[in-house]
Amino acid sequence: MTAKLPLGLALDLAKVVPYKTGSWRTMKPLYMMQTPPCTHSCPINNDIRGFLRVLADQQDYEAAWHLLCKTNPLPATTGRVCPHPCEEGCNRRDFDSPLAINASERAVGDYGLERRLDHKKEVLTPRKEKIAVVGSGPAGLSCAFHLAKRGFRVKIFEKDREPGGMMRWGIPAYRLPKEVLTREIDAILRLGIDLEVNVKVGVNLPMDQLLHEYDAVFLGLGAQVGSSMGIPGEDAKNVYTGVGFLKQVNGGRKVDVGRTVVVVGGGNTAMDCARVAKRLGADVSIVYRRTRVEMPAITAEIDEAMEERIMFRYHTNPVKIITDDDRVVGLLCVQMELKEADASGRARPVPIPGSESVLPADTVIMATGQEVDYEGLELARRESKWISTSEFLLTSLPKVFAGGDAVLGLETVSAAIGQGRRAAESIEDYLEGHEESSLGQPPVVYAKDLNRFYYQARRRFTKEAIPVHERLKSFSEIYPAYDPGEIAAEASRCFSCGMCFSCGNCLMYCPDNAVRVSPATGRYEFDYDFCKGCGLCARECPCHYIALTLEK
Amino acid sequence: MSAQPSVEDLSRVEKRNLFASGHRACGGCGQALAARLVADAAGENTIACVATGCLEIFSSPYPDPSWRIPFLHSLFENCSAVASGVEAAYKALNKGPVNIIAMGGDGSTADIGFQSISGMFERGHDILYVCYDNEAYMNTGVQRSSFTPLGARTTTTPTGNTTRKKHLPLIAADHNLPYVATATVDDFRDLQRKVKTALSIRGPKYIQVLAPCPLGWGHPGDLTVHICRLAKDTGLFPVYEIIDGKIANVVKVPVKKPVEDYLKLQGRFKHLFKKGAPADLVARIQDIAHQNIARFNI
Repeated sequence: MTAKLPLGLALDLAKVVPYKTGSWRTMKPLYMMQTPPCTHSCPINNDIRGFLRVLADQQDYEAAWHLLCKTNPLPATTGRVCPHPCEEGCNRRDFDSPLAINASERAVGDYGLERRLDHKKEVLTPRKEKIAVVGSGPAGLSCAFHLAKRGFRVKIFEKDREPGGMMRWGIPAYRLPKEVLTREIDAILRLGIDLEVNVKVGVNLPMDQLLHEYDAVFLGLGAQVGSSMGIPGEDAKNVYTGVGFLKQVNGGRKVDVGRTVVVVGGGNTAMDCARVAKRLGADVSIVYRRTRVEMPAITAEIDEAMEERIMFRYHTNPVKIITDDDRVVGLLCVQMELKEADASGRARPVPIPGSESVLPADTVIMATGQEVDYEGLELARRESKWISTSEFLLTSLPKVFAGGDAVLGLETVSAAIGQGRRAAESIEDYLEGHEESSLGQPPVVYAKDLNRFYYQARRRFTKEAIPVHERLKSFSEIYPAYDPGEIAAEASRCFSCGMCFSCGNCLMYCPDNAVRVSPATGRYEFDYDFCKGCGLCARECPCHYIALTLEK
Repeated sequence: MSAQPSVEDLSRVEKRNLFASGHRACGGCGQALAARLVADAAGENTIACVATGCLEIFSSPYPDPSWRIPFLHSLFENCSAVASGVEAAYKALNKGPVNIIAMGGDGSTADIGFQSISGMFERGHDILYVCYDNEAYMNTGVQRSSFTPLGARTTTTPTGNTTRKKHLPLIAADHNLPYVATATVDDFRDLQRKVKTALSIRGPKYIQVLAPCPLGWGHPGDLTVHICRLAKDTGLFPVYEIIDGKIANVVKVPVKKPVEDYLKLQGRFKHLFKKGAPADLVARIQDIAHQNIARFNI
């Protein structure tokens, strides 16, 4: 008897052991989160890509707020006043137009204020160390915020009657309504931070006492003193420094500027002073010794000042303030010509002899620089002006850290917030006795790394300003609130550089099925048993989330 | 087949891995990618009849085949005839319905197996024929086929092919086929929709899929998808459907690219850009693209 053989050869597929083609590989693809250019160029290193993705995918403003507030405690503020270097970095820049990150940030920040959201602590068990923060400007608030989130006991000392520093006294209400700032600071203080106002460290409270009572001190002094130009006639009435003028107006004091105001300087303070004076009813001109190109002010602010019909006089330098009976009547100016660049990289202005002329003025505002108020403090200085610190923001005094304008020189709110955050990290490392780890960030994704076939050109969100004649009538904000739906649509323009957004290209294009969805995390993962390393996934990944590396 | 599938069913992307990992194709193989996309779109209730060629060689060595659906290997010349027999057997046994897909490379489809595929079309079997078009006999070492385009170098045309590519979709359509389509591996949604559409129609159907061969075309494996896209964007490979004899759903290319973009990436066209190359050859290839653009209104 012969057994009946099957007609063909039957293979039990369940018993098939696939041939592992992974051994052929010379290149190995890796899923690797990379740094997007927006975060890279943000002074606070905000997770911009992250919060935009949450907005785009889920329209979840609350989650977006929490994500943003991981690094930035003042999103509604920076969403208004930050010159947004992130948008300069955006990889959409040479594709169509960069994302409206700043507007999105403001919308998220405003949502947090409306809902009165509370910040989340990262360390829930309180720690015993106490830290004093001097100054409640962006640097001080940011440092206090990050320390409080890490469980430390923090107390802020503020010399003025209200917290906020330059954000309150330096930035006019049409750019940053006081209400927004107050509520945002309240949310920070709700983390359990103590605030004592009207205390000037070094004057009312000796520094030694702070050093004795606290485990670490952070100085966020800012640059609160306006420097004068050193020309004759400065002591006259109706001559102000830029910060002095803004502080008076922002403090609610009535300032009579007369009919004609001349502002000297080309920085942000000069723009603010000019636009404030315009709103007080004066004809305003700005006198600057170089040209618009060299002006250090934010471009948008120069544009807005020009829209508001502020006269710009370039190549003009004041020589003398002409007074009559202790009141200003005019400003004697000389014309300048620009010569080869100086140490700052800007063209060096040189006076043209015999070109003097007089500008009539009822008020002169000198917005030509600011300095740190060192009264009662003994600190090593850099270029005799700013506080010198180590790279960990430690000053010449033991356990005293510093940050913000007082260290950086005149910088932005965001730069100060970023420094406050860095200082908080340094202080924690210092208190815990760590050597600071220098963990590098992953590489930055640039436009050339992306596969832009998969993206479509779309119109950018544009914010609509109130017309000029309306906005000059009051100090109310010139950009009304944005539509949340439009912002979510704008967020969906994000390329998501360097982070997977589950497009499925790698999954579908792999000729070897060597990409699968992980059952544990729901994310894609490589099956290196079968990946032949052809690199098709890396080539077709829109956002450069896949790096091709040499197989070891 | 049952009732007409819905639009959502047709446009859904399928990933079932019915053509599994472990096959011996080169890295970045367009045909392996195409075979998986086709198998996944067709689903489990499918029989694959595969002609000799790369696909058969790299996917079916004993004892670890990649197919997770019934697979039948046939010769170059009789793949369509074998598939016809499978269909007839199902009919005779009163079994089914089942998707029967005959597959082959361009050589077995357009040259060696042309009589049997023409017969299958003419007899009206309910079979989908999928041709993986890599424009030469790649399995046996890159010999010229009747799909090899003008100018391409193969081992049998070392100075470049002198004839034009045979346009099989139109020949197939002239067999009064209800459905003919072309597709490329770069647009997997389009390819899978076309396979599902074809399988929802009774009668013989023909789909030609452009599947680049990194080895034979002389390009890095990671460019497989990119090159497909360029073949479409230059007009050299028109993507369209022929439904009941009428050309439809042509994939439009708003901004056409010059053929050089496509040719320069591939080793098989390298000689066109060397010193002493026939001056008009690139222009003639560009002419072919222009003719395609005009003919199909791309």
